[in-house]
Amino acid sequence: MAEITPRELLEQEEDTQKDRFLTFLIGNEFYGIEIRFVTEIIGIQAVTEVPDLPEYIRGIINLRGKIIPVMDVRLRFKKPFREYNDRTCIIVVDIKEVSIGLIVDSVSEVLTIPEQDIVEPPQMNKGFNNRYIKRIGKVGNDVKLILDCEKLLTDSEIDSVSNAI
Amino acid sequence: MLRNTDVIELWKESENLMKRVLIVDDASFMRMAIKIILQKSGFEVIGEAENGVVGIKKYQELQPDLVTMDITMPEMTGIEALKEITKFDPKAKVVMVSAMGQQAMVREAIVNGAKSFIVKPFKEDHVVETLNKILEM
Amino acid sequence: MSSQYINEPLLDMFIFESSQLIQQLEQDIIISERESYLSELAIDEIFRIMHTIKGSAAMMCFNNISTLTHSIEDLFYFLREENPQDIDYSTLCDLVLEVVDFIKVEIEKIKNGDDADGDASTLINANKDFLSRLKQFSPPSDTTETKSHISPDTQQIYISQNNGFAPHSANLFKTVIRFDEGCEMENVRAFNIIHNLKNITNEIRHIPENIVDSDAARTIQNDGFIIYLKTDCSYEEIHQHITRTAFIKDLELDQLSNNEQFGQFEGGVKIQESKGQGYKEQSNKGQTEKELQFTSAGQSIISVSVAKLDKLMDLTGEMVIAEAMVSQNSDLKGLELDNFHKAARQLHKITSEMQDVVMSIRMVSLSATFQKMHRIVRDMSKKLEKEVELKIIGEETEVDKNIIEHISDPLMHLVRNSIDHGLESLEDRRATGKMLAGTVTLEAKNAGSDVLIIVRDDGKGLNKEKILARARDNGILHKDESDMTDREVYNILFLPGFSTKESITEFSGRGVGMDVVTKNIEAVGGSVSVDSLERVGTTVIMKIPITLAIIDGMNISVGNSRYTIPTTSIRESFRPQEADIIRDPDNNEMIMVRGQCYPLLRLHEIYDVKTDITKFSDGILVMVEQDDKIVCIFADELLGQQQVVVKSLPSYIRNERKIGGLSGCTLLGDGSISLILDISGLADFTGKDIKN
Repeated sequence: MAEITPRELLEQEEDTQKDRFLTFLIGNEFYGIEIRFVTEIIGIQAVTEVPDLPEYIRGIINLRGKIIPVMDVRLRFKKPFREYNDRTCIIVVDIKEVSIGLIVDSVSEVLTIPEQDIVEPPQMNKGFNNRYIKRIGKVGNDVKLILDCEKLLTDSEIDSVSNAI
Repeated sequence: MLRNTDVIELWKESENLMKRVLIVDDASFMRMAIKIILQKSGFEVIGEAENGVVGIKKYQELQPDLVTMDITMPEMTGIEALKEITKFDPKAKVVMVSAMGQQAMVREAIVNGAKSFIVKPFKEDHVVETLNKILEM
Repeated sequence: MSSQYINEPLLDMFIFESSQLIQQLEQDIIISERESYLSELAIDEIFRIMHTIKGSAAMMCFNNISTLTHSIEDLFYFLREENPQDIDYSTLCDLVLEVVDFIKVEIEKIKNGDDADGDASTLINANKDFLSRLKQFSPPSDTTETKSHISPDTQQIYISQNNGFAPHSANLFKTVIRFDEGCEMENVRAFNIIHNLKNITNEIRHIPENIVDSDAARTIQNDGFIIYLKTDCSYEEIHQHITRTAFIKDLELDQLSNNEQFGQFEGGVKIQESKGQGYKEQSNKGQTEKELQFTSAGQSIISVSVAKLDKLMDLTGEMVIAEAMVSQNSDLKGLELDNFHKAARQLHKITSEMQDVVMSIRMVSLSATFQKMHRIVRDMSKKLEKEVELKIIGEETEVDKNIIEHISDPLMHLVRNSIDHGLESLEDRRATGKMLAGTVTLEAKNAGSDVLIIVRDDGKGLNKEKILARARDNGILHKDESDMTDREVYNILFLPGFSTKESITEFSGRGVGMDVVTKNIEAVGGSVSVDSLERVGTTVIMKIPITLAIIDGMNISVGNSRYTIPTTSIRESFRPQEADIIRDPDNNEMIMVRGQCYPLLRLHEIYDVKTDITKFSDGILVMVEQDDKIVCIFADELLGQQQVVVKSLPSYIRNERKIGGLSGCTLLGDGSISLILDISGLADFTGKDIKN
């Protein structure tokens, strides 16, 4: 077997992660999240509520001794709450060293969407809430909305202020 | 195809080839810097001492192939420790670690049996060459 | 230049070790300054510290630090070797402290990943000036270059074992040696070669003759090192012998045909084997000392990164939980398992012992933190022209490493405050018949699971009227003045927006008041209180938990949620009678216990938790106390007491918003999460409610 240095391995891995997206469902829409952010996917489990938080942060869970917050993406998008069922999943992502669980209706598949099939979202002033959508990927006749993970996390402060007012 | 016994033999050999070094320096930083260089270059650092007294004790305990010896140290200077070590083992291979401006002390060390010296701040290849040369002796 | 092996751990080590050395240096100097005398020991130590930092900094290419430390090293070298009289200690101490400050700033920059770009040239010049002034007043000495223990004579003496030429078979050689560029100390390398050749040669002469002066290094660099030697060895033997020397770039070795050629070289230095008598005496004397020291050097200490300790702590915590999950597993219910329980008890014993050990590893004495205050006292007394004596009691007291970091700033603030505002001016002290030198006492002692850190001064004390007046002016008085106890009045000092300063000074001015002290101490779950007597002095007491990592906790439940209350704050728990509940017109609930009235907090209400238990007679009340505030917490039921490992809430949530009344969370035996209540935070809830 040819020798592979750790660096090459890392580069390979980065290569295999390129253009790869984990897709999931919220309502009828397919969303995509860059696979490099995803650390694992777990079924829904008991969430410990923490008082005083915005509604979309459901609380905290115990992930093998590590305590991480969980966010209901549905509520984050200001869609109505839906009871969790056996298809509900928590996607654990690691963004800028912050671990957080994203609760989604269901996880669909891992897809490769080449760069040329990804377009900027349309500019809309109102109606369509696309703050958290970075770009849009085309797969056949389907459309996957690609999440802007960083915004999903960092926007919260502005949000919480406006919630408070 | 290598047999298991061959592998063990090879492994033993490489183990034997690793020269065992004792680092004597009062500064942890220097010990670490020297250790990093040595380990990268195939030496085995078998012990560290933070002054001359501990250095002598460790030398007697570990009987290393090589010693790097700082000069300015509390409790007992490197020169004193060198004298004790060569008294204990006249074949001891001790390399002084000196700073610029310590020439007279390095000379004194040489007279007292130091095999060579390196000058702080040192470069990796300087250290390795100095040590390898001494091992050829 | 040596970037090839500069890496994180090495940089960390540089920062760690240099900071420690600098701190030690600072202490040495402050002590010396107080005594207006530098002991030999202190000089030697300062010299060594500077030497070490110089070397490390040069390796890391922090050239400003290395040249600056070099200049101090030179200065102290002179002090050590020449022992000059009439030293201006005050200037010298100022110089060294300025160097200390400079290096501190640079290390801070390095820590933050910035360039260490400070300009040390002014300081270096000041050091050089000081040194040259010293030299003027001292008897002339050869050079600042290291004076050796070998007398100049022996340095140049050389061999001739047979005294004269060996009559037969001697081979004559001439060799020219060139060293690699940048190998440094060429003259000493030449010395090394000559020394090694000594034993196998009958006569040696070399050019340059004098290889002791460092000037020779340049000559050798340019012209090479030329040796003439007479030996019984063969060409090959000599060649091999010389090439064993490191850094030889080029070696010419020629065999000479006759004595004539050898003889041309007249000026050559004759060499004499000499082992000075002096050495033997010296080493014999050394021997006894050394033997004594051997015994004391037995215990060795290693330094470990805090991150590793934190990890160990986390793992131990998880092990404690896992142990509980196994031994209290619900699958075991109703089974008779004698052997299992025996083994489980043993496991429990080991885990808790291990926990204790891990905790003890993290404990650090307050000594370094306390000692740092010497510098502050020194600087302030100098600037404010007050005489101050700093007394330190109980510095060996230990607290958790993480806590120590939070103590340093408040302590500094309090000490500054004591000197600036507590202690009177010299005239005032004289007028009141007090000792001229004021005393600031730092004391630490254990009190149960807490450590008390006390800052006491024998100054003028606090003035109640002034405090009240200022509080009124600043609009932070919420209580009727006549209702307030002395203590309550004094504690106004720690409220935000209060500052008793009549005059803003350089030291305690800065627009921050004592409230930063409170903030820092509360951040580690401690509290601050103050007591004072006019004309006698002021005492500030900081109460700090020994550790944050593991607490004894009582777990309670509300609906599906679990909460943990630190056992130390629990006074009692009881099932209340509906009749004991009092409601004020604003619908605030209170309870009467033994004639005393306490505010009541329904956890399910303040945290908006769904539960069926809302009637007092169905649930339980836990009376908790923190910092003289007492609250009764209403919960569904008590779950039991256990040691819990404190974890902070995820950073995402902490950044989102500060949640009142929660100090962290913990994992329970069944893997579920419990939120740890912060009692003083909860007490604030009632305050708010009452005001509203």
